[in-house]
Amino acid sequence: MTATAALSGYYSPVHFQNGKQVTDRGDTLAALMQRSLSGDTQAYAELLQETARLLRPYLSKRLYAGSEVDDVLQEVLLSIHKARHTYDGQRPYKPWAYAIAKFRLQDHLRAHYADQLHNAEDLSELEEILPDDVTESGFNYESISEEVKKLPEKQATILRLMHREGYTSKEVAEKIGMNESAVKVAAHRAYKILRERLER
Amino acid sequence: MDKIEQLIAGLSKDTQAVQPAPRPWLLGLKWLGAATAYLVVTLAISGTRPDLLLQFHKPWFVAEIVLLTGIFVSTALSAAILSFPDLHQQRRAAFAPVWMFALFALVLFFSWLADNPPSPLPVHSFECTINIFIFSLLPSAGIFYAMRQFASTHLRLSGIVAVLFAFSTGALWLRLHEQTDSIIHLIEWHYLPMIAVAALGWWLGKKLLKW
Repeated sequence: MTATAALSGYYSPVHFQNGKQVTDRGDTLAALMQRSLSGDTQAYAELLQETARLLRPYLSKRLYAGSEVDDVLQEVLLSIHKARHTYDGQRPYKPWAYAIAKFRLQDHLRAHYADQLHNAEDLSELEEILPDDVTESGFNYESISEEVKKLPEKQATILRLMHREGYTSKEVAEKIGMNESAVKVAAHRAYKILRERLER
Repeated sequence: MDKIEQLIAGLSKDTQAVQPAPRPWLLGLKWLGAATAYLVVTLAISGTRPDLLLQFHKPWFVAEIVLLTGIFVSTALSAAILSFPDLHQQRRAAFAPVWMFALFALVLFFSWLADNPPSPLPVHSFECTINIFIFSLLPSAGIFYAMRQFASTHLRLSGIVAVLFAFSTGALWLRLHEQTDSIIHLIEWHYLPMIAVAALGWWLGKKLLKW
């Protein structure tokens, strides 16, 4: 850690290396990164804080929930830490950091939409069965709701809330005090049971 | 202290001096050096085609070898650039192999026009593709291992370029080893499979270069 930085507690463009005064040129963040690469922990902490400040609005614009922004920002900071050897301080820092942020954001969005698609497939499976059975096998709403009632209580409640009262899986999770993923899993299991019973 | 601050404190507390990665051209040269050494050693073992010196008097053969070497060099440099999250801020250079392939296709077209009367087709066919594939396995493993030490943000593209680099080494080896002059055979069993196998890089990049 440099003497000036240690005294002030903040990043200073003027610092000492091997007893010589050095003035950082160009991008402040690039200079901070250069010092971080030489093992300056305070410069590194400041760099990560500045990076978080820089990237938060970028992520907030592209993500819906605040908790998601925090999660992705953590991923980005970890990635920056992991890939810091690919930055040599000789080129602008921001394009490097944004490239990593964009990469992690795309990863997150891909996973998020894959999950949504999976959930949508579950619903479409059920939708495919229900109309066919209603017309061809004489199933009506009552008979299906009777089948739903025969399900374990938790699964029946989830299906009732989602399909009769129109709540989303997230709202159902909040309402019954469960995790959203657990709601989706329970709904998926319920669809399977229903399908087997209705296909008989 | 929120989650982000905790993370920053944790990461910065244990940080140590880190040696920055070499510049892409230096990295590319290193990979080229390794692949060239492999090529030279295998050529020394398998032998070059008996009429190689004679072939170097033919302009289209020279053009083909020069451009194949161009693909070999440009894919190595492109792979090195693609190993950096921001492409080392040299996006255009990362796409240099595209131009090299376009020129190569043009040279093959003119070679085909110049191959009149056409050279006889060799008796073998797919064996060439298999030979190139086997030869390229080691460079493929090497380049993917080397690229994993960095942080690519273009996984699929990096995978394609890495496979093309490895297979251009294989294609160069077979062209200097095998005594075949039929352009149709070369296109069909040497170069088209090389491009087809690049599709494998699309998948391999996603699987192997994840970080």
